[in-house]
Amino acid sequence: MVSSFCWSCLTRLPTAPRAILPPTLTAQRVAAFHSSTPLLAGAKKKGDLPVAKYRQAKSAKMKKKKPVERTRPPAVGERRALRKRIVLSNPNALEVEDMQDLSAENMVDARLRGSILGLPVPMLDQLRAVQAFKPKQGWSIFRRPGTVVRRETLELGRLIDGISAEEGENKGKVVRKIITGVKGSGKSVHMLQAMSMAFTKEWVVITVPEAQDLVIANTAYAPLSDENPNVYVQNDATAALLSRIVTANQKVLSKLTVSQPHPALKTAVKPGMTLEALAKPGIQDPAVAWSVFQALWTELTATAPAAGFEKGFKPRPPMLVTLDNLAHWMKETKYNNIDCKPIHAHDLVFVQHFLSLLKPSTEAGKPSLPNGGLILYATSGSNSPTVYGFEVALQQLAARQAGIKPSSPEFPQPDPYLNADKRVLAVFNDSASTKSPASKDRSLELQTIGGLTRDEAQGFMEYFARSGLLRENITDTWVGEKWSLAGGGVIGELEKLGRRLRVIA
Amino acid sequence: MVFILGVNFPERNLVKKSLESFFGIGNLTSTRLLARFHIHPTCKVGDLANKQVLDITAALSDMKIENDLRRQYLDNIKRLKETGTYRGRRHALGLPVRGQRTRSQVGLHPYLNISNYDTRGCWSTSLVDVVVGYYTKQEFY
Repeated sequence: MVSSFCWSCLTRLPTAPRAILPPTLTAQRVAAFHSSTPLLAGAKKKGDLPVAKYRQAKSAKMKKKKPVERTRPPAVGERRALRKRIVLSNPNALEVEDMQDLSAENMVDARLRGSILGLPVPMLDQLRAVQAFKPKQGWSIFRRPGTVVRRETLELGRLIDGISAEEGENKGKVVRKIITGVKGSGKSVHMLQAMSMAFTKEWVVITVPEAQDLVIANTAYAPLSDENPNVYVQNDATAALLSRIVTANQKVLSKLTVSQPHPALKTAVKPGMTLEALAKPGIQDPAVAWSVFQALWTELTATAPAAGFEKGFKPRPPMLVTLDNLAHWMKETKYNNIDCKPIHAHDLVFVQHFLSLLKPSTEAGKPSLPNGGLILYATSGSNSPTVYGFEVALQQLAARQAGIKPSSPEFPQPDPYLNADKRVLAVFNDSASTKSPASKDRSLELQTIGGLTRDEAQGFMEYFARSGLLRENITDTWVGEKWSLAGGGVIGELEKLGRRLRVIA
Repeated sequence: MVFILGVNFPERNLVKKSLESFFGIGNLTSTRLLARFHIHPTCKVGDLANKQVLDITAALSDMKIENDLRRQYLDNIKRLKETGTYRGRRHALGLPVRGQRTRSQVGLHPYLNISNYDTRGCWSTSLVDVVVGYYTKQEFY
């Protein structure tokens, strides 16, 4: 019999407390040959094994299986809604005191660089309406949404401030930018900041939150008209665009009135009708959505009223046009034409319209945005197709910006064996090379967003700490380490480091 | 419910799937039909305009599908049998037609040979019995 004395020191080994082990086990403890695992597993409960009763017949008859109760699959659209849900607030996070809201004054304030500016609560509905937030951006870990003021943000703020100023050299200017950068560098949030600034300045904001949606053949399409059967219109997508424009810009559009006759529209256009009322029929009836959108666009780009519409004409505000994931528009779509050949994205009239804004002038020779504004088209780092022509076009754009002339041998040329899409190259060549009729307009630029600077990264990490997410001393060395880990301050990676839960022992 | 070529389809069904439910229309033909009438592949039957439904029905009624196609299949086999070709004889015997081996596994051939396919689109009862009997004996199931 094994005693529970330790032979080396003759002190009593600590046994398991009696309360944990059932009393029967302690008696068996010493007798068992094997280690304690099966003993500690606990006594068998009743009903674990069928206990045969005395003289009971056992038949080989199988029991009928009970029909398995299957839960109903979730209702149509429920899973998608859950996937696309955007949560902007987390009551568990701490409120960050003295966090300022974005306003017309502080969006140009260079002292705020590296700090977080909150998005004003009344504006959140507008931002939701233009689908500025994306599901995976991590808004749900903070008390309320806010964005970092980085160098690019301040430049953007100054630009928007200058364009909408009453006086100054930038008044009514048009700036066109393609925004690129590595994954998680904050391209989409940069556009969100542009939108929030544009809303504070009461611009008209027009967005295409995901370019891919228009080319994966998920919305209806039809030839535009009998005259040009090779151009296609997407009525449902246009109606959705109109709905985004109207809900987000209702405050601005309800103040502006119609200034041009619109013979193409079926509904009568009366003088004094607001632009909101002009756009509404397009949302309700997708069949007329495209003509309504064109009418709305002519109204927003009008500089002077037509005859008979002079009463109550107000100058149109500048416009912000944003688009995310541009590369999807540079290749063939999933739509088929009548001969079952894929349709090129540039044959969709919706795409044509937004790409034509990159050019300084319309086909008629007028400036494309006469009232000024900002055009921001971003590429995506996570879901973007490889389009060789587009890559070359962006390289060419960068070369032009660096001052390399297209005739020089250093100017990047497409490899003739890789079949670069000529239509894609042409779009960017035309946009970058043609001179604008309005001398103030800048031609197309390429803006690459990189990482935060160390100071900005410090401010960003402090925000995590002050929200109660990060229990660290935010020192220079610590921030420097995280800054390097995040690939030189790539903000998406910094966020991952900041939100990772650490348990302090 | 939408009526396409005499068949009622629930509105939640995909147009592409609904077209492919006709005998003789597969992936390729349905894709071409959709492209011809500018219908996107994820379109539901309920989203079709009236004109599109009529167009599709008109296009389908011009095509050789369903019973016409089945009859054509049977006629082809009948012709083979009547001219006394080898293939015709194999069809009649319910044996493999295209030179497969018959030493070991010929079990499914009488089942799959199209000559046993009814014009109504069902297997003739007696033959099914034969085949099922064959397999049960072999303890196939």
